[in-house]
Amino acid sequence: MLAQPTPVIVPDTDHDIDLDKPWQVVVWNDPVNTMTYVVYVFRKLFRYDEAKATELMLQVHHEGRAIVSDGPREQAELDCFRLHNHGLWATIEQ
Amino acid sequence: MSHFRTVAGKIEVSLSPEERLFLGDVLPLLAGIGARGSDPAADRLQVPVYLDDPDSNEEWWRLMGSELDAGRRSDRAIFEKTISGEGPVELSNSEADAVLRVLNEARLTLGARFGIDIEEDHYDLPEDSRQVLDYLGWIQEELTLELMRAL
Repeated sequence: MLAQPTPVIVPDTDHDIDLDKPWQVVVWNDPVNTMTYVVYVFRKLFRYDEAKATELMLQVHHEGRAIVSDGPREQAELDCFRLHNHGLWATIEQ
Repeated sequence: MSHFRTVAGKIEVSLSPEERLFLGDVLPLLAGIGARGSDPAADRLQVPVYLDDPDSNEEWWRLMGSELDAGRRSDRAIFEKTISGEGPVELSNSEADAVLRVLNEARLTLGARFGIDIEEDHYDLPEDSRQVLDYLGWIQEELTLELMRAL
């Protein structure tokens, strides 16, 4: 599907955790996963409809990354696990 | 005609003997994935999940890594059963999902080892390497579309 993974920009942070701020799960661009597969995974894991899943996939494709879910840290870590289990490159950030 | 079709809620898989033989090579390929830092496939399959926090990243992989490995072993067992059948094989959607993940893992593994960093690299591959990736991609696409119909 996808173009080169976007270079990582390390934020200027001391890793303080804001308990009120949700954690976000980000899926990154990848040159091997296919568009159809990525849409399928988003639909299956997050129950997004086809339009929403396609929109997120295209955001990953064109912008290099997309936030696919957010919530408490435990949920973000679980979502990240499920994405890795399907071979998608997912990260967690706050 | 697709290799996959849904029959009475099951996914029927039809592979030729040549295809089953070819797909049999996927299992040793995946079993041979090495360690991070020494095998690009391992680097691709074990990417960092906390980009700015090495401690959290290490902890996530400590907790989740073995579970991911166990899931992959289970998926490969289903894949092996699927390609070992003589005639058409019937899979539940969950089993078909496992086969799909194995096909994807194989493509990620080969893509990493072939040095595919951008999409266009695919077209610069030697013909035999490109054909392997294309075949796996074709099979994966067919199965993805079949599973998508059930969502």
